[in-house]
Amino acid sequence: MADLMTGSEADVAVVGGGPAGLHAALVLAQGGLSVVLLDESDTLGGQYYKRRPAQLTAAFGDFRPRGTELIRQVREAEVVVRTGTLVWGAEDAGRTLFTSDVRTGALGRINTRATLAATGAYERSLPFPGWTLPGVVTPGFALHLATMDRVPVGNRVVLAGTGPFLLPVACALLEVGARIEALVELNHPYRPRASALGGTLRQPARLAEAARYLLTLARHGVRVEQGARVLAAYGDTQVTAVDIGHEDGRVRRLETDALCVGFGFRPSTELPRLLGCDTQADPTGTEQLPVVDADGTTSVDGLYVAGDCAGIAGVQAAGVRGQLAAHAILRRLAPERAPAPVAGLRRRARSLDRFAALADRLYPMPATADIPDDTQVCRCEGVSAGEIRQAAETGWNDLHGTKAATRAGMGPCQGRECGHIVAALAGRGSGPNRAAECFAARMPIRPLPMAATVEGQEVP
Amino acid sequence: MSTNSPPQTVTVTIDGAPGQAWAGQSVTAVLVAAGIWPLRRNPVNGQLRGPFCGMGVCLECEVTINGRPGSRSCTAHVTDGMDIRTHTEPLPTAAHG
Repeated sequence: MADLMTGSEADVAVVGGGPAGLHAALVLAQGGLSVVLLDESDTLGGQYYKRRPAQLTAAFGDFRPRGTELIRQVREAEVVVRTGTLVWGAEDAGRTLFTSDVRTGALGRINTRATLAATGAYERSLPFPGWTLPGVVTPGFALHLATMDRVPVGNRVVLAGTGPFLLPVACALLEVGARIEALVELNHPYRPRASALGGTLRQPARLAEAARYLLTLARHGVRVEQGARVLAAYGDTQVTAVDIGHEDGRVRRLETDALCVGFGFRPSTELPRLLGCDTQADPTGTEQLPVVDADGTTSVDGLYVAGDCAGIAGVQAAGVRGQLAAHAILRRLAPERAPAPVAGLRRRARSLDRFAALADRLYPMPATADIPDDTQVCRCEGVSAGEIRQAAETGWNDLHGTKAATRAGMGPCQGRECGHIVAALAGRGSGPNRAAECFAARMPIRPLPMAATVEGQEVP
Repeated sequence: MSTNSPPQTVTVTIDGAPGQAWAGQSVTAVLVAAGIWPLRRNPVNGQLRGPFCGMGVCLECEVTINGRPGSRSCTAHVTDGMDIRTHTEPLPTAAHG
């Protein structure tokens, strides 16, 4: 098949145009290498630096101007930018990438000397009864609607789950006029215990950011309920109510027209895992992360990983890690150049890692054991927690057997929504030492229209 | 945040009914702003589904845009004259068993 595709060459391919990929591409191009920067989206920026459409920027102003500036620098450095390009496969340690044009479906191939995976992350959801109802969404969806499109996700919004991300989402919703019925935080992060303070003091700026958000919420009279969770959502054709369970057993029903629930982020590791890179369990024990050194070097020669896809650490860390990976690639591919000093970047990366570790301690994930049996876990194939538990108990006692027996994870999202839950439910034993399993990464690592593959065969 | 001029509007058609949207808005945003949440049926169990992740991962927000079925409304932007069709009618048969 590869021979039928249009091919192109570059010294380095950077997959993902978010903070890590942008910073890396800039350093690589300034170092004299030819760089192709690939992103599935039609604009650069990734999720954090997602671009507000030009027509809306004219009316409402730029969104996160730092992103605009970074993208301008990348283009000026003559990075070959290929947006609207999906990387759906790779081989030869990432030196061959298979692509598809998102609009036309045309297949392509890119040959490189090194590849940097900067594929970021997506939101982590946990199933509860009613989570497939229209009107139940991720907090990130609500944020994009508010910031990009200037549309409030609802008039009576309930935000729930865990993580620092819920705070900026709530503030963005207030800015577009949404009323927030409650912000329901599973944990108790906003009264940190003394043991956690050591980490917070090293990142006062980040702490101040959270304090500012909390102040805004207080000024708008938004209830922040800690130690509470969504038990179930109700509605006929769309969500109309939600039950919130408190630690003391109290259950409160809230009327809502938009329920946003999220539990942090899942790293998007399909590309490095497809290439056979060594992995290890993440701090939550529910994901397999690529094993990387301080520069993002993996066990696969020529493959580098940076940003949230190497472990969730946020936008600042992604930028620093992207630069470190780029410097490592430069030392490798352009050894005649005097290597840039990177000690400062490495120090900053370690400091940001400590902050990420603090967030992991403040916002732990809930147990999957209490997901009711009749709750749908796999949204695409409509498979319940009970069906998965039963399959695991009746001998399909590994993740892949359970997937084959129940079809959980076999739908169009390829297990991105349910994979971590299916793994937790199907896993034998428990405890921190049990290796987190995950679905194997296979080509195509992102859904590809059948028309694209058929048309691809006809390319001379 | 500065407000320079009101956004340019475009006309789109949602399930046959004409409506206004701001140029550049995502198709999902226009549907949500119009109060249209259910967009399709899950092909396995027939349940109504609407946009969920907003970033092209879950594929729950697929609609037909200008005659092209299976278009992700969260990653598509409206243009003048765009025809958007949802698919919430009950399924004739279940896909499995």
